[in-house]
Amino acid sequence: MVPAIELDEAPVVLVIDDCPAIRRLLTAKLSASGYDVRTAADGHEGVEMARACAPSLILLDLAMPGMDGFEVLRELKQCPALMHTPVIVLSGSDDPCDKATGLDLGAADYVCKPFDAVELRARVRSALRIHRLMRLLAQRARLDGLTGLWNRSYFDERLESELGAHARSGEPVALAMCDLDRFKEINDAYGHPAGDAVLEGFARIIASELRAHDVACRYGGEEFAILFRGAGEAQARAALERIRARLSETVWPAHPARRVTASFGLACASPEFRTREALVAAADAALYDAKQRGRDRIATALIARPRAAG
Amino acid sequence: MSESSDREAIVSEFAGDPDMLELVEFFVGQMPERVRQLRQSFETGSLDELRTLAHQLKGAGGSYGFPQISESARRLEKQSEAAEFAEVRRGLDDLIDLCNRVRM
Repeated sequence: MVPAIELDEAPVVLVIDDCPAIRRLLTAKLSASGYDVRTAADGHEGVEMARACAPSLILLDLAMPGMDGFEVLRELKQCPALMHTPVIVLSGSDDPCDKATGLDLGAADYVCKPFDAVELRARVRSALRIHRLMRLLAQRARLDGLTGLWNRSYFDERLESELGAHARSGEPVALAMCDLDRFKEINDAYGHPAGDAVLEGFARIIASELRAHDVACRYGGEEFAILFRGAGEAQARAALERIRARLSETVWPAHPARRVTASFGLACASPEFRTREALVAAADAALYDAKQRGRDRIATALIARPRAAG
Repeated sequence: MSESSDREAIVSEFAGDPDMLELVEFFVGQMPERVRQLRQSFETGSLDELRTLAHQLKGAGGSYGFPQISESARRLEKQSEAAEFAEVRRGLDDLIDLCNRVRM
């Protein structure tokens, strides 16, 4: 739930090469550097193993009987789970055309055989480093800068895919829209740093009360959204109640006498609320209810209730 | 070429590296089988197979500290593409000679 980039303890490196002497040498050299090395003796086996072991990096020979390295590269780049895995071509060919083809097909690097182990290891480290930075950037693009929760565009994507899963399997999905009550007053009375502290504090409370597979985001301004996966109304409501209570009890250093509360609108995916728009509208309507009924409370969208006109 | 220089042993550039000892041993130990495969592919006229064997030795030789083998194998790989019998024969003899002289 809390976004993080996991660092592999022993990154898996997959070697695809038809020459046993090369496989053996690479296994010894890379294992000594702390990599978990797997090997495949031809292209088909290589693609299969890549799918099965999801390696951090692939070392790929070009000239192999049957499926050659270029074909393997094309296949890998078409597979969503593997298209971003860095591939270093390790080939006996020093033909510039082969180098260009390999790099244009998406290889991260191209090393000629015979190879120098010191150089190869440095290139492996470099490819892994670049890959890690790219993942970090991709992740940062999905995060809210202030709170560290997911941002809205990522949340919308996830909500869409969870609703798809719900339609297929009936797995329950619940959506909560959460809004800090009278937040503008905090900003106006104590300044924006105090307002930011409240946003961050609320985000921390939300993050600590959710399960690992729930998704929380800053939806915009002082509004947050929570996607409860595999949770029915009762379970989601219980989590929201814990969040509500903890927020209302929190004492803020910048304004100890001024407590902060939030209102929550909850809607569960159902035949009536099966699209993202319908579910968000239902949760928003419930949130409006909670505000109307005095704030600092949770309201649930009722399936039987007529939809708002629109 | 005199008999003595011809039979001079070729030692891996990594001979002094304890991490490479076992690996070089493995590579050297493979040589008789490699030579047998090279001869066989030539004698049965399997030029494709000969080219593959040469290609692999090109990649592996220098990686195990035997750049002479990579160089000779690179020539044989090229020659076997042209399929000039005499040239291939010469290239093959050169590579086999080197392979036979490889020592720990």
